[in-house]
Amino acid sequence: MRDLVAAFAQAFRLLASGNPGLYAIMARTLLVSGTATLLALVAGVPLGYLLARRRFAGHTLLLGLVNTGMGLPPVVVGLFVWLVLARSGPLGSLDLIYTRQAMVIAQLIIALPLIVGFTTTSIRALPERLPDLLRTLGAGRWRTLWLLAGEARLGLLAAVMAGFGAIISEVGASMTVGGNLEHSTRVLTTAIVTETSRGEVPLALALGLILLALAFAVNLVLTWAQARGSR
Amino acid sequence: MSGPAPGAVAIAFDGVRFTRERRTILDLPRLDLPAGAITVLFGPNGAGKTTILRLISGLESPDAGVIRVAASSGARSDVAYAFQEPVFLRGSVRANLALGLTLRHVSGDEAAARIQAAARDCGIGHLLDREAHTLSAGEAQRANLARALALRASITLLDEPLAAFDRVGRGAFLEELATLLRRHSGTVVLVTHDREEAFRLGDRIVVLAAGRVLAHGPLQEVLRRPPDRATAELLGYTVVIDDAGRLLGVPPGALRLGADAVTFRFVVEKVVEVGLEERVRGRIVTRSGEVTGELSLPAGMPVPEAGATLDVSAVGCVFIGA
Repeated sequence: MRDLVAAFAQAFRLLASGNPGLYAIMARTLLVSGTATLLALVAGVPLGYLLARRRFAGHTLLLGLVNTGMGLPPVVVGLFVWLVLARSGPLGSLDLIYTRQAMVIAQLIIALPLIVGFTTTSIRALPERLPDLLRTLGAGRWRTLWLLAGEARLGLLAAVMAGFGAIISEVGASMTVGGNLEHSTRVLTTAIVTETSRGEVPLALALGLILLALAFAVNLVLTWAQARGSR
Repeated sequence: MSGPAPGAVAIAFDGVRFTRERRTILDLPRLDLPAGAITVLFGPNGAGKTTILRLISGLESPDAGVIRVAASSGARSDVAYAFQEPVFLRGSVRANLALGLTLRHVSGDEAAARIQAAARDCGIGHLLDREAHTLSAGEAQRANLARALALRASITLLDEPLAAFDRVGRGAFLEELATLLRRHSGTVVLVTHDREEAFRLGDRIVVLAAGRVLAHGPLQEVLRRPPDRATAELLGYTVVIDDAGRLLGVPPGALRLGADAVTFRFVVEKVVEVGLEERVRGRIVTRSGEVTGELSLPAGMPVPEAGATLDVSAVGCVFIGA
């Protein structure tokens, strides 16, 4: 209990001190996880739409993969991405290993099935004839997708929350492919691991509280948007 | 929207075949739907009526053949389509009516005026600010129709526009719809499996069964001269072969007690009460065979026993295939 109180105190001190290192880690965490979520949305929403509305060869297999992917262990994803991006791997020449880009790729892989899965469910909940209606009213392909996304916005916001929540809190993949390099690839979760291993438990707890506060703030905005959307 | 040239063809099907899972849904070697007319696509479930609308609107493509749609802008975007089951987006009825107009680049005062006019014509002027999802089935069907009419497309497709109404509401709206469609200057293609709707609303009729056209032409002409037995039966005629061996179509409710120009023998099977009326069900017997029929008993007439034979006559009979 004393540790927890000390952690709260230290977290406030850290934030109040304006420590540029801490703010850089927070910004990096948001940048990496935000970019991965955005990319997962761009790829995942159309894919989710296809899975919800079209039947094609391999449809069931892909749906099964997506459902399995919704519970992917981040450390396993990190390991696969590391094998591909490592100097000796097939994409080693791209020189991406231990960079923020590598972390975005790993986090994208973790978030994508969640976004696809939630999108599929929310599009399936819409009236079957809605895409046909929009086409006959004069909407083109992309406008139809945009209008359907608007109709399914509650489900899509849930998808963003699930995807962002899963990757901002993961440590295995970020550590494996990012390498936890100070001033470069260190994010809040990997910093917590580092401080814990150094025995700086109050500092690790303080970073943990900041991470929770950050995730809470982002989800609060999304929840507010969801509540507005349901009106 | 300018009026179509007289005799112009709005939609032409040429060698069109549409299949689904190797089953032929529609086979239309040749079918022209004239511009400016209300054409009713009439037939039982599974006849391919809705498929024709989906092909015209571009929602489906034929496996073979060509469909030429001569909309005034020369594009499928000048086609409006009201589905059988109304579908709405979140938002008010007004917003739902406005969407199609926005997508077709009609906005501002012009859009507002069209929405107001279509809503008033369809009897939903007072519902424009209601959430579309809170409408009753009948109101939703009216809003669905208003959304299509507000587009003022040169071709309007209506799929069972009265399907959501109960019997009482249907009768009232059928009259409103008939007036509304007569005022509409574009081409209307309307799907129904209800004879009363077809006969009340159509200028022309296309009778379909199992994906094929059995008959098509001006409504009165097809009704007066059904080309074959199947068409006549779909149109509601009781088909009998008279003593001269000709196929005769007896219109529904045309049987009367007593001999006249066209007289049959009628064997009573049972008498059923329909409200205050008593109807006799039985068999019309001719030299070539027998078919089931029904006649109403005049007030005060003693109820005949089952098995009794009566002389009945029919008015308004048509010769089939003549």
